[in-house]
Amino acid sequence: MKIEMELNGRPVAHEIAPGGNLLSVLREIGQFSVKLGCETGDCGSCTVLLDGEPVNSCVVAAARAHGHQITTLEGLLGDPLMKELQHEMVVKGAVQCGYCSPGMLISLYAHFKASGDLSEHALREALTGNLCRCTGYVKQLEAAQTVADNRQNESGGAS
Amino acid sequence: MWELKEYRFAASAQEAVALMRQGPGTGAYIAGGTDMFLHPAECDFVVDINHAGLSDIARTPAGDLFLGAATTLHNIATNPLVADFAEGMLIEAAAHCGNRPVRSTATIGGNICNALPSADMAPVLLALDATCYIADADSQESLPLVDFFVGPRATVLEDRLLVGLALPAEAGTRRCASYKLTRSAEDISLVHVCVALGIEDGKIETARIALGAVAPVPMRAVLAEAQLVGQSVTEISPDLIADAAAIAAGECEPLDDHRASAEYRRDMVRVLTRRQILRALHDETTITKDSGGTVA
Repeated sequence: MKIEMELNGRPVAHEIAPGGNLLSVLREIGQFSVKLGCETGDCGSCTVLLDGEPVNSCVVAAARAHGHQITTLEGLLGDPLMKELQHEMVVKGAVQCGYCSPGMLISLYAHFKASGDLSEHALREALTGNLCRCTGYVKQLEAAQTVADNRQNESGGAS
Repeated sequence: MWELKEYRFAASAQEAVALMRQGPGTGAYIAGGTDMFLHPAECDFVVDINHAGLSDIARTPAGDLFLGAATTLHNIATNPLVADFAEGMLIEAAAHCGNRPVRSTATIGGNICNALPSADMAPVLLALDATCYIADADSQESLPLVDFFVGPRATVLEDRLLVGLALPAEAGTRRCASYKLTRSAEDISLVHVCVALGIEDGKIETARIALGAVAPVPMRAVLAEAQLVGQSVTEISPDLIADAAAIAAGECEPLDDHRASAEYRRDMVRVLTRRQILRALHDETTITKDSGGTVA
């Protein structure tokens, strides 16, 4: 079957297998930030945005993307918030092997876009579902906290 | 790879049922798909209900709460119409189901229709007297959720479609407490206990004790519930609560598996039921004192 989706702001048509997952389709069309990890919706390395919501693309039907907006890390490389998140992840040493980084970045990006909740609890919640076997999670949380602090300072300065 | 021949989209509940019966071969409904991709149904086609108008959350003027079957768990966890219902027990359960990206697509209907004994939303909905609305080709019927489950991964549906769940306004005013015992925050539950108490004139008028992961289907401990009805909220004896909890432990039928033994699960039903009754009665001091400072 053929699907038509808006991938990173551009219309894309693609022939898919009816039982295929979104993960394999995105990799087929060159979105290599989308990693295959567990393929059970547990590890988060295939996280993309479906109409702005973070989803595990391994457990989302490719057919479901038909008529919807899909955003991968490739589509956010010029985005100021994404640049800030990437910078803090690097500075804090949150990137070691790097396999989980795209999923972590997309998850945090979705959180900061959708919610004004900058509490540590909210940031931890936003990172749930992303497994990292290198760092122990503290560094990603520190990076997220710094971006949250920057938000707080900005809004503090404006008021 | 899931060997599906066809992926169909339904624009309404009626169309979904029609597409399901159209053949050729057998079909299955799909919404979030988070469980379907883990345990692919052996079928020729699926019928997607994400665009069938089943994603609404609504409150009636009387206060009844309606949850469309295709409503995502994230929407339930963050929707202001749900926030104050049953002291937040419903949003609490939705917010602790799976992880954030799973909750973006996993739906309440899927959680119920998969009919796992450990389904996270089932005990909460049972404790709040949920009614299921089920669509047939050109009719709709309703039945209590407690009659919906017939066994592990089995429901009364056959090829019909669950369109939504309704919770009565009265259930929304109950005093509630729940606890999901898991190995890790994202694992499925070992034991899930939900208590909802309807209070009138200082007495327990309605008592619901619903249990997950300790029987072939999500269940209510009706004998334990009966112990509580008619008791005064302020004068209920700790012994009576302990008895009710022990009765609940006797009512469940847990299994041994790699997560926990049946014996452990049964004892946890007793411990957690007693604590949740106390918490629902807002008796935090007693629990703290008597569980060595750890409130479960």
